[in-house]
Amino acid sequence: MINLRNVRKFYGALEVIKGVDIAVQDGEFAVFVGPSGCGKSTLLRMIAGLEGIDDGDLILNGKRINDVPPDKRGIAMVFQSYALYPHMTVAENIGFSLSLKKVPVAEINRQVGDVAEILQLTDYLDRRPAALSGGQRQRVAIGRAIIKKPSLILFDEPLSNLDSALRVQMRAELQRLHRELKATVVYVTHDQVEAMTMADRIVVLDKGTVAQSGHPMDLYHSPDNEFVATFIGSPKMNILPVTLSRPEAGRLLLQNADGLSISLAGADANTAKGEARLGIRPEHLKVSPSGQGDFSAEVVIVERLGVETYLAVGSLKDPIVVRAEGDLTIRPGDRVSLTVDLSACHLFDPNGRVIRRPQTL
Amino acid sequence: MTDFALDKPGKSRRPDLMAYATLSLISAFCAVPFFWVLLASLDGNAQLFLSWPREWTLNNYVRVFAEEDGARWVFNSLFVVGSATLLVMVLAGLGGYALSRTRAWWKQPFLYAILLIRVLPPTALVVPLYKILLTLNNIEGNLVRIFVGGDTARAIMRWIGFIDGYLGLILVLATMQLPLALWIMKTFFDGLPRDYEEAAVMDGATMLQRIRRVLIPLALPGLAAAGLFAFISAWGDFLLPLILLSSPELQTLPLGLFRAFLRVNTIDYGFLAALAFIYLMPAVIAFGFARRFLVQTFSGGVKG
Ligand SMILES: Nc1ncnc2c1ncn2[C@@H]1O[C@H](COP(=O)(O)OP(=O)(O)OP(=O)(O)O)[C@@H](O)[C@H]1O
Ligand SMILES: [Mg+2]
Repeated sequence: MINLRNVRKFYGALEVIKGVDIAVQDGEFAVFVGPSGCGKSTLLRMIAGLEGIDDGDLILNGKRINDVPPDKRGIAMVFQSYALYPHMTVAENIGFSLSLKKVPVAEINRQVGDVAEILQLTDYLDRRPAALSGGQRQRVAIGRAIIKKPSLILFDEPLSNLDSALRVQMRAELQRLHRELKATVVYVTHDQVEAMTMADRIVVLDKGTVAQSGHPMDLYHSPDNEFVATFIGSPKMNILPVTLSRPEAGRLLLQNADGLSISLAGADANTAKGEARLGIRPEHLKVSPSGQGDFSAEVVIVERLGVETYLAVGSLKDPIVVRAEGDLTIRPGDRVSLTVDLSACHLFDPNGRVIRRPQTL
Repeated sequence: MTDFALDKPGKSRRPDLMAYATLSLISAFCAVPFFWVLLASLDGNAQLFLSWPREWTLNNYVRVFAEEDGARWVFNSLFVVGSATLLVMVLAGLGGYALSRTRAWWKQPFLYAILLIRVLPPTALVVPLYKILLTLNNIEGNLVRIFVGGDTARAIMRWIGFIDGYLGLILVLATMQLPLALWIMKTFFDGLPRDYEEAAVMDGATMLQRIRRVLIPLALPGLAAAGLFAFISAWGDFLLPLILLSSPELQTLPLGLFRAFLRVNTIDYGFLAALAFIYLMPAVIAFGFARRFLVQTFSGGVKG
């Protein structure tokens, strides 16, 4: 459907998109996610045609569209600010692209009516955007996009202006819309929860490069690097510096200064020895009766949510987070013994590349 | 503004009273001259000092139009100032947009440089300005006389001459007002997200469609503010028409007022007041029209 091949973008001498390869399939809901400034918006605007492509190919349905003007690409975009024209009514906003093309008024009205029906905006067609709620404005912005019957719809952080309750509701609504319209969607956000809940495919961007792309659960369970590992999942994955050694063939010994010492099976002979980083999610650390765990540490913060309890252990500055089921009556200052779930250990080399993925024992 | 006491019912009334008192004082201070002029203009026997008219009359107004060339002055003033304002709005709209969107290095220096035009007292510039305009006028006059003869040439020059012609005064007035208008429009466009235009681009709008259907409607509040300031300021200008115009047919209202005041024999306060009131009105009306837009422009641009 849409393919980016080694796409680059420079602002002066500054390279902001550094040779990106992305493929999004027909009908997919693809989410570009990454921290602020990683180039998500730039990439989206390059696909839309609002920003030039300095190098590489942008291919839509088999055609290279690098130099096709934005309105000829069959792509619609929903802006973060919505960009609804304040001097037009909702109906005029939605029908704007048609009226530019001199489509007869009756036909515009019919199509605007259809779109308004889908988006539940029928009662608001005569209002100005200023007289709408945030969620309604959002829907008008979507209406303005889908009336063009685009093959691809781009969203740039469309929910960031909404409060959290409305955001959850709009998330569901966008997914419903995606199912009904069967359109391909590229959606940009810096919120990994949004990405995880909506995406068929997540593309994690890091400083202008693709850190990893794939199904949300693949990214969660099997991240290619430390960046994706810590970016996807909340609370984020703990990273512990460890020293690797191989005392016997086929086994890998991990040790650190806190007295952690665990032995993993299934290491192949060419796994590097020496410094490495152990990645372990908060839910894969278990509080054990004292003395029975893999290591022990002092509790610095306790967050009791009732159904689960989050413990931050170790140092306050760089704590290890533990997620425990139920309501634990542990208090800051207590020492706890922790067991590592050996089947859920990620190992990364000092550069952050994965050297061992979790494996069922 | 008047009902802010209602907004916070729980609060003490004292500060509100103080605010009302202050506001009333300021309003009275602003309104008194206005009513003074109005009263005097309707007084059959107006004096220098304000008194309640003993004899109400419209005679002063009748005289402005019947005995003097009042209608002509009104037309001249409206035409010259209106054209200058229109010119300022067009140029400031285009220029302000360009200045807001460009990233050129000369942007800041340019913006401050044009403010100099506002800062320098026009009186100090009168001599060189007159010289330049006179030279241009002579060249233009000679050119015109190549094609048409004496009387027609004089009639044409009355419209397009740089000295003693509408065009010269319009251009100079517009130049004086342009810097501030450019600043207003540049600031206005700075506050207008580019998303609006980009959304229009995505919708397939051509450059012209973008300007006509998106930018102009969005810029209207800013344009109204810029136009209002230009109009009021140019309307109040006295020096430039005094220097650039000499033909009686080209006289503007302030010149008419000035000359009526200078007339040797007794000063006719009733007549002057009527003329002054006529001179006041357009500025007040313009303000009334643009007030709505002013609030929008100076409270943070367009809110989607
Ligand atoms: N016009 C520009 N000139 C120079 N640098 C730019 C320009 N636009 C963006 N950048 C830089 O390009 C990088 C990517 O910007 P972009 O807006 O794509 O980030 P983003 O991932 O969308 O961030 P956010 O989540 O904050 O929106 C940033 O480092 C930014 O500073
Ligand atoms: Mg962005």
